[in-house]
Amino acid sequence: MTYDKQKLINCTQFEESLTDYLDKTLDRATFKAAAEHAISCPLCHSLLNEVKGALAACRDLAEPKLPLTRLEAKILASTVPNASLHCEEFEDYLTDYLDGFLPAQVFHRWERHAVLCNDCTDLPGAVVRSLAAIVAYKADELPVPAGLHDRIMRETVGTTRAKEARASMADQFKEWVRGFSFPISIPQLAPVAMMLMFAFLVFSQTVSADGSLTDVYAKSFQLAEQTYEQGAAAWNGKVPDASLNQEPITGATYVEDKK
Amino acid sequence: MEALKAAGEINGAELVRRARAGDGVAWEEIVQAFSRRIFNLAYRFTSNADSAEDLTQEVFIRIYRTLDQYDAKQGDLANWLMRLARNLIIDDYRHRQRNPQNTMADTVDDHQYHLRAVGTSAHKEMERRELAAQVQEGIDKLPADLKTCVILRDIEEMTYQEIVDVLQIPEGTVKSRINRGRIELAKILRRMRVVTI
Repeated sequence: MTYDKQKLINCTQFEESLTDYLDKTLDRATFKAAAEHAISCPLCHSLLNEVKGALAACRDLAEPKLPLTRLEAKILASTVPNASLHCEEFEDYLTDYLDGFLPAQVFHRWERHAVLCNDCTDLPGAVVRSLAAIVAYKADELPVPAGLHDRIMRETVGTTRAKEARASMADQFKEWVRGFSFPISIPQLAPVAMMLMFAFLVFSQTVSADGSLTDVYAKSFQLAEQTYEQGAAAWNGKVPDASLNQEPITGATYVEDKK
Repeated sequence: MEALKAAGEINGAELVRRARAGDGVAWEEIVQAFSRRIFNLAYRFTSNADSAEDLTQEVFIRIYRTLDQYDAKQGDLANWLMRLARNLIIDDYRHRQRNPQNTMADTVDDHQYHLRAVGTSAHKEMERRELAAQVQEGIDKLPADLKTCVILRDIEEMTYQEIVDVLQIPEGTVKSRINRGRIELAKILRRMRVVTI
């Protein structure tokens, strides 16, 4: 069936070509004319929708989805019985299923059980509806009972008139001082403490005679050398050299310059 | 909900600083911002308006005494305050479970009456209140450990980790109790015909 490109089709022609239109077997020009008519004519537009709806319903009738799933589940349950879930396991996995966290291998077994088990098939829906009821319940907050605020105020600040409870100058000052927390946090204190200790070591002249930084290292080496000599002599059973300082080496030991 | 929104907007650290110094107005602001939420949480655990009121008052007294411990660097006031309130309310609930003679839970009729009394006369409002009362009744029928987990997760919307921190039990146990609690509640509400198939 073809129509003149320039000529609009009427309602009778549209009805005649409706099946071809839905099957998309019309030639391009006729298809366009039919589409334009369907848009411009409310009656034919409604007819088109009705026919589309009826066709969809027929398709659903021809392919019943749930029985097929049930059939699949039955076949799998009878052929691979190990892959089925018990009711307890089914319930254990319910929240994970609803949260979408169920692993793939369990997911299919879970869904199969939901289809096959008469005791469990309604449970997921009931839990979802129960959660929906909780949401409605949560939104329905009770107002604070009359007088509760006053009771709380009386028990805490001693009066129901908040403006009467004013902070004393001393307390305000205390809070003001409290606001000035120590600017260095605890983890940062470690390097600061090390620096202070090092400065104390340098300036207290316990090792370095002249207090200079380079001399601290030189004196440290001398002390280490002296300690080694004392240790080696004691180990080998030699008589200690009287010329050496045999006093125990402490932080206050003074080392003479060998130069 | 409005109170919550307001609670989020207030400067918690400043309010606490003023309240600690003894400023009654600052403390009143804190009470007004959080009392509704704390009262409702207490009601969900006690199922009794009078008990919830007493518990809310007790919680605020404890909060007032521990204001010194609030550190704004550790989180905002709402988080700190609600964490403290939850702990106190759960402690109280556990205590009442161990000492059932102290339980002041009234009958379902009583709190249905309370809920109705609060609402307006509109039919929809009545239905909503009725549903809320039935859900509360269903929650009350749960075993104590399941009830606590369901309230914290599905009403307080706490994360699993937050529940672990509050209840001091392993995460697996928390998940399992939430799952079991939801299933039990669904079965109870189905028997009560609150949710239908």
